[in-house]
Amino acid sequence: MILSGWESVFFWVFSIAAILAGLLTVMARNAVHSALFLISSLVSVAALFILLGAEFIAGVQILVYVGGVMVLFLFVIMLVNVGAEEEGRAAIFNQPGQVGAALVFLGLLAGALVIYAIPRGYQALQKRDEAAIQQASAKQAAAEENMDPSATGVNRLSKQTERVGTALYTSAALPFEIASVLLLVAIIGSVMLARTLKQEIAADDVDPEVLGELKQFGVPPSGGRPE
Amino acid sequence: MIHLTPSLALIFQEASRAATALESIKHPDLSKFLVIAAILFIIGVAGVLTRRNLLVIFMSIELILNAANLNFIAFSRYLQDTGRGDPLAGQIFTIFVIVVAAAEAAIGLGIVIALYRNRETIWVDEIDLMKW
Repeated sequence: MILSGWESVFFWVFSIAAILAGLLTVMARNAVHSALFLISSLVSVAALFILLGAEFIAGVQILVYVGGVMVLFLFVIMLVNVGAEEEGRAAIFNQPGQVGAALVFLGLLAGALVIYAIPRGYQALQKRDEAAIQQASAKQAAAEENMDPSATGVNRLSKQTERVGTALYTSAALPFEIASVLLLVAIIGSVMLARTLKQEIAADDVDPEVLGELKQFGVPPSGGRPE
Repeated sequence: MIHLTPSLALIFQEASRAATALESIKHPDLSKFLVIAAILFIIGVAGVLTRRNLLVIFMSIELILNAANLNFIAFSRYLQDTGRGDPLAGQIFTIFVIVVAAAEAAIGLGIVIALYRNRETIWVDEIDLMKW
């Protein structure tokens, strides 16, 4: 997978955008700005997915992450807005000692990975797979010739999405079903976690003894803050 | 002349090294994707370790999962190129990582709301009920 020409230009543009947006996510003072920078980082990574030939995953990334999860984040930021952070009254980072220790550790990790582990590992991988890549690239060029042309006739249509869908319903069918159960559990769990005491009483599933005690003390109308 | 030869050799060596570096910038390969993913991962871990805002910590976790996804997709493409193994396994895995990330975000944000209702804070250093 060696990119060239415009592909490599797009690679550098989107990877630098992803890293800068990631850095700003971590360093922004306002949580809403963090969320917006995270959205741009996720979109840049989706563009990298397209460069790698995974169009379906890029679409899922934008629909699920940017369209779903990040909107949920923005709603929660709106609900628990603290204000002190934006006005600059509160520190956004932990104590300097903790931050320093974390940065030293992460700097060592980054140095070891970027300078030593990844280049070394990739060299060994290249040496092992040289012959296989040569063989497969000829086969792949032939396969690309057989792909259907697009409507404009300039490029060819990839069958990647079709293959991912087939795999999801055949070889990965069991994990797919387990994932759907996981999502159901997550929905029920988050509804249970987020409701107020008043809503819990209204749902009529509180232990009658506890309910009697609560009524005796008088549940505050806001939904019960133990203060 | 004799003194010049080693320095000329050094310059030549440096020039050839610069040329290979330029070549690798012009033609990014798998290792570049891995480096980008590693940097994104480290930024995410830095966010988890240093920020005080619980919501930003959750966002950093999303950044970490996204870096892992980038690795999965890059290796999926590499397997496709070498013709070894199942080239789609990485993409299927990525879909499940996204599913788990969505479930984690829903549960985590539910916990944040419950916590804010009870403690009126989302600073992680003030949430120390279980600290000894």
